[in-house]
Amino acid sequence: MLDLVQLLIYGIVLGSILALGAIGVSLIFGILRFAHFAHGDLMTLGAYFAFTLTAGISLPMLPAFVLAVIATAAVSIGIDRSLYHRLRGNSPIILLISSVGVALMLRSLVQMIWGTDNQVYRSGVQASLEFAGLRIQPTQVMIVLGAFALMILLHLFLQRTRLGKAMRAMSDNADLARLSGIDTDRVIIWTWVIAGGLAAAAGIFLGMDTRLHPIMGWKLLLPVFAAAIFGGIGKPYGAVAGALVIGIAQELSTLVIEPSYKPAVAFALMVAMLIFRPTGLFRGKVL
Amino acid sequence: MSLLRAEDLRGGYGGADILNGVSLDVDAGEIVVIIGPNGAGKSTAMKALFGLVQVREGRVNFDGDDITNMAPNRIVAHGMCYVPQEHNVFPSLTVNENLEMGAFIRRDDFSDQLARVYDLFPPLKDKRREAAGTLSGGQRQMVAIGRAMMLDPKILLLDEPTAGLSPRFIDLILERVRDINEQGVGLLMVEQNAKQALAMAHRGYVLVLGQNRHEGPGEELLNDREVAEMFLGG
Repeated sequence: MLDLVQLLIYGIVLGSILALGAIGVSLIFGILRFAHFAHGDLMTLGAYFAFTLTAGISLPMLPAFVLAVIATAAVSIGIDRSLYHRLRGNSPIILLISSVGVALMLRSLVQMIWGTDNQVYRSGVQASLEFAGLRIQPTQVMIVLGAFALMILLHLFLQRTRLGKAMRAMSDNADLARLSGIDTDRVIIWTWVIAGGLAAAAGIFLGMDTRLHPIMGWKLLLPVFAAAIFGGIGKPYGAVAGALVIGIAQELSTLVIEPSYKPAVAFALMVAMLIFRPTGLFRGKVL
Repeated sequence: MSLLRAEDLRGGYGGADILNGVSLDVDAGEIVVIIGPNGAGKSTAMKALFGLVQVREGRVNFDGDDITNMAPNRIVAHGMCYVPQEHNVFPSLTVNENLEMGAFIRRDDFSDQLARVYDLFPPLKDKRREAAGTLSGGQRQMVAIGRAMMLDPKILLLDEPTAGLSPRFIDLILERVRDINEQGVGLLMVEQNAKQALAMAHRGYVLVLGQNRHEGPGEELLNDREVAEMFLGG
């Protein structure tokens, strides 16, 4: 029983990280109608930005976090303007393939700048908090609280602001958004700000929970997509729900199968969802 | 000169031309109806006016400005709004949010216009917090027209506003269309219920194969033998 609760906690931590990535994948799919395969590497990039700011110029974690999020959002806009923007109107497959290319470029860039070794934000062993026989790291508490704070901010943005509503409107029906007078190009730029920024946050949290490595984000891409699809792609709230389900299921699965098979659990859940309810939990778009 | 004037429009979706010379005028405060057989290019003509179909030849003028091939999100700022036939609401947004999106380009307070739209369509008032996708076809059409009314346009383009509606809603929507016109809004409408539409129109155009075939006052077209035989079911 204790094992179960302990794994549940780890599952929520993993789910929070996946959620930040899956929201971005879902938003991009909703607005731009293509599966963004470079999303994992945007996470990696964000994590390394924060690494340079903390280890390189000794900023405290919070300002480094904010700056890395902003920098990654800026890179995302740059990629969109220089590449995806020019390909818009082509088949979604062409955008998807080009995003695989972007993924490889970002990963190589990270390897060239920061090397291929593992890195950590802070060395040394952290004392974990213990209560009722359960263990949790202080950073894990921060990850969950941080992720949920960001999700609440996103929720307020989508529900309360003019631009957030326009983003939902464009995801519903891009043509109608355009002929209603919505500046769809501005919505697209803000989509990248949010998706890129949240990807950086996910990458930094992942780095805090484990360590930094050039393929850390790429390895997370499958569960991130599984979460987005499970929740209903195009639906940011579905992505959060899907991420928690996938994260918890992955951790709980270690009770019965080898931990190295964890990603297979995400894959199995995604495939099951696509077979039995292709629109996902929250009735998203059909791929 | 008319508020909206299209001269000899030719163009289509990139392949063969669908419009082979369509000309039409809409004056301020007028109701103008386009009728014609299926495939005559009625909806295409309307889309061409609104920058949704590439105009290869010909000009569209609106309120003194050349708006030929202008992007729709800029045309609305000039005071012309468009209600597509299908997919004309944001299904996951609430009724109120749908109307807000219609006023997206307005940075001022538009609560008075919002109140006017709710006065025009009272059933929407109780549904304002419900997702537009959950509404009945008739109420959805109200949301669609209401959204386009949020900018208080000089001209409203309606593409088959009664398509797929029950007879009760057809009458209701057409009545509201007349109310909108009485507020001084010019209306250009493609309509399947040709008799009903011509009866309320100031003028009408009959398109065939992407070209003007007849035009005249609504009454006159209704009584025209050829028009009656071809499109009004005898």
